[in-house]
Amino acid sequence: MKLRKQLGPFVAASALMLAASLGRPAVLFAQESAAPAPASSVVKASTYVSHDPVPRGQEFQVAVVVNILEGYHMNSHKPRESYLIPTTLTPQLPAGFTLADTVYPNGELKKFPFSPDKALDVYTGSVTLRLKLHTEATASIGATSIAATLRYQACNNSACLPPVKLALSIPVQVAAAGTKTKALHPELFSSAGQK
Amino acid sequence: MRKVANLPGWTARLLLAALLSIVATHASACKGVASPGGSAKPAALASEPNVTFKDLDGNNVALSSMKGKVVLVNFWATWCEPCRGEIPILIGLQQKYSGKGFTLLGAAMDDEGKKVVEPFVKTTQFSVAGQPATMNYPIVLGNDDIASQFGGLLGMPTSFLISRDGKIVKKYMGALNENQIVKDVESQL
Repeated sequence: MKLRKQLGPFVAASALMLAASLGRPAVLFAQESAAPAPASSVVKASTYVSHDPVPRGQEFQVAVVVNILEGYHMNSHKPRESYLIPTTLTPQLPAGFTLADTVYPNGELKKFPFSPDKALDVYTGSVTLRLKLHTEATASIGATSIAATLRYQACNNSACLPPVKLALSIPVQVAAAGTKTKALHPELFSSAGQK
Repeated sequence: MRKVANLPGWTARLLLAALLSIVATHASACKGVASPGGSAKPAALASEPNVTFKDLDGNNVALSSMKGKVVLVNFWATWCEPCRGEIPILIGLQQKYSGKGFTLLGAAMDDEGKKVVEPFVKTTQFSVAGQPATMNYPIVLGNDDIASQFGGLLGMPTSFLISRDGKIVKKYMGALNENQIVKDVESQL
């Protein structure tokens, strides 16, 4: 109890300092604006499957929604300069699956302070990449996982982060041919969602 | 105030731990972070990097062999557009100050190494003060181990200004500001 009393003023001062320092991140962030964020925090990817389950013999899609931290961009799949590292999505398919197509969104042409005279073809904000896949009659029935690698290279207005290979794992449920299936995430896979 | 003083012991400890954690985080964040101009004093641990690079011919280039000169070590990559954008500034610095006890050292961080760096260095033309120029300063190959001797790199370009006695005096994250780097180099000569 005595200790608590003695600690009282210190705790009060600590609380005030804590409150004061909680207000500091905005200031710190502003001071550090030239320092790029760690590569792992700049790009986040989420995966979605178009159908559940996926019957043997049916086509389906996987969407990879990539969210890019505000203030950053990454090269599109078709950067204008050959030396820039393009964004790629490469599946490593288990037996019984084939890849029909990989669909990349168009990039946007943007100029940056480090490239004022030359527009770069980049992705910003949120972009969706899609794998069009086919399940063969030989695919194992039950739960399986499709691996894919998202490769990208991101920059902000002043600096570039090293290229990253992000390993993705997409769970898929395979069912017998003719099994009733449910279409999922129409916002990503319907023709309207694929604009 | 009375309420705070009457906080249970665990709350007091929790607050104290949070405070210490914030102080520690702040102290750590302040090591080698950039100021608004993109420069900062580097972490004390990396104040005198003892590194040996390989040049494009495979020869060793020890940073310690450059003691007596002011050195600007510039970490860059051929795929890095801001790095390319500042090369004319770097060429200009080498043109202007190499006879006055200064040298640039370009450390290329491309994973493919010499295979991509050498043709780039030999063939890429830059416009410096309206004149075509190629990279006129020593180019060496960097890697993560070497970068860690400088306190690590978050991105590129990142440059380090090294004094005549081999100590890092300034770190620049992102593209260089020409006026600032000229002022800083001159202050060391």
